[in-house]
Amino acid sequence: MLNDTPIRISSLVKDYGSLRAVSDVSFHLERGEIFGLLGPNGAGKTSIISTLVTLEAPTSGTVEIFGVDVTKNPKVTKSLTGFVPQELIHHGYFDVREILEFHSGYFGRRRNGDRIDYLLDRLSLAEHAHKKVKQLSGGMKRRLLIAKALVHEPKLLLLDEPTAGVDIELRSSLWKFVAELKGEGMSILLTTHYIQEAEELCDRVGILQGGQLKTIGRTRELIKGLTTREVALTLKPGASTIEHRCLIKVRDLPEGQGREMILRIPAQREVGELLSELNMDIAMIKDISVREGNLEDALRRVLEGV
Amino acid sequence: MSSRTSEGSVEVASVRDLPSVPRFAPFMTLYEREMKRFMKVIFQTIVSPLITATLYLLIFGVSLGGTIRLPSGDSYLAFLIPGLVMMSVLNNAFQNSSSSIVSGKFSGDLEDLRVVPLGKHQILWAMSIGGLTRGLIVGLITYVVGQIFYFALEGAVLPIAHPLWLGFFLVVGGLSFSKLGVPIAFWSRSFDQVSAVGAFILLPLIYLGGVFFSLENLHPFWKAISQFNPVLYFINGVRYGVLGTSDVDIGLSAGVSLAALILFHLVALRSLVTGNYQRW
Ligand SMILES: Nc1ncnc2c1ncn2[C@@H]1O[C@H](COP(=O)(O)OP(=O)(O)OP(=O)(O)O)[C@@H](O)[C@H]1O
Ligand SMILES: [Mg+2]
Repeated sequence: MLNDTPIRISSLVKDYGSLRAVSDVSFHLERGEIFGLLGPNGAGKTSIISTLVTLEAPTSGTVEIFGVDVTKNPKVTKSLTGFVPQELIHHGYFDVREILEFHSGYFGRRRNGDRIDYLLDRLSLAEHAHKKVKQLSGGMKRRLLIAKALVHEPKLLLLDEPTAGVDIELRSSLWKFVAELKGEGMSILLTTHYIQEAEELCDRVGILQGGQLKTIGRTRELIKGLTTREVALTLKPGASTIEHRCLIKVRDLPEGQGREMILRIPAQREVGELLSELNMDIAMIKDISVREGNLEDALRRVLEGV
Repeated sequence: MSSRTSEGSVEVASVRDLPSVPRFAPFMTLYEREMKRFMKVIFQTIVSPLITATLYLLIFGVSLGGTIRLPSGDSYLAFLIPGLVMMSVLNNAFQNSSSSIVSGKFSGDLEDLRVVPLGKHQILWAMSIGGLTRGLIVGLITYVVGQIFYFALEGAVLPIAHPLWLGFFLVVGGLSFSKLGVPIAFWSRSFDQVSAVGAFILLPLIYLGGVFFSLENLHPFWKAISQFNPVLYFINGVRYGVLGTSDVDIGLSAGVSLAALILFHLVALRSLVTGNYQRW
């Protein structure tokens, strides 16, 4: 029987010759969630995904999909998984529809026209169905890869940079589609360098660097725990600034418009609390703006180790 | 396959409990893909071998060999036709599997075979039967063209002496060579390496395997060397199937051909495990 854990990676190590690309990584995916694997180029994201789809064998450790070891029963784990590779591929001889028909057939679904039509439509590929891959633009090729990954209705979807090279509009419609797939109960692991999009979409994220999993957690909680809020107080001309341990910068605004105090407070801290601590004359404050920390700040914080 | 229950205990699932994965449909899909691939480039895959065979028949069978008679009294054309048919089968079977893999490496879709639930046996059989199919189609066309020439020259159709033996050698030869194309393509690092193997190893073996001449006419030294050429047995097997006589004992031909098939099969399976699926 399958269990309820779409992915469970335990003590995974992956070496390429003398290079350790993944170093003792363990994590799991919860059923029905979107999990983002983030990290700089060369962090080991693709290497982890490659072991999930058996393109690479683990050097040590275990990789399970719904409780099935990918090295022991690869046919079972492959049939449960849809995979969008990072690299675009070409398919010399066949057109878009033929490619999807073959791909579906490899999973044992030989007459799958309805599903193929649905995906072509959802991924805005219907009008390109009779084109050869080399006639498609980069973004269309990327969407074809996504259609291929979904053609057999997998329970687990692995997206390695699914939006690289896709324009803004299609990117947001793609993410909407991914959120919808989640709504249908699919579990999704993705990598992306669009951190803001990951922040909006991912229930949890893991941050990789140099093959090591540095941090993992709920997106919101990670941001809260790892970032600060920056409060900018614009003071009227003539007002004096106040000393406070959170004050990080004071600058004069041009043309005698007054001064700006920038204070940094922990993400949990409230602005009202800060203001009452500062105990300033409210009449002296012209404006207040708050810049919230985001996932990008959290990521930078983890990667820079500050 | 252990699944952790909420209490933290571990239940072990047996293979029987796992969802079943279809076997036949994936295999048929890959076979169909192999067929469609060569039909898409029909000029390269069928028309051009047809032109080659016609030229050989014209030059060697009609012009040069027109006056030669076999000991049996039959024309040289009768000797040439089965050799050419088998040459077409072997060549095209090899071309189909090897170029399928090589072009898959070039475009990057060979990796697809690794992420879909196809096993190495399914992949190998789909590719070898695909290669055999193309080999037999081109072989059949060569045979028909040969018969037309024969009829024009002799006023009769060349009869087939042992259809079952003929079928046996065509199938075993075609399968062997399409299987041989698999490891050569997998272990190659470039297009050039594959065509080099074809041009410098396979083609000489095929030409020296007795397509155009009888072993009996060779210098004893070359005759002895030729005994080690597996293609000789394939070609003589087919010739026995058509003419009822050949240079090599039919039992020996059958034995060597089967041994070659098994050897190439095992090597090809190995290459599917150790070979490189990555894009060039
Ligand atoms: N097939 C390979 N052979 C040798 N080294 C490799 C191979 N694939 C990846 N590497 C190395 O392993 C490390 C991790 O690479 P990986 O592709 O997993 O990174 P990534 O996190 O996916 O990066 P990116 O964001 O650029 O896609 C890198 O140092 C890379 O050079
Ligand atoms: Mg990558």
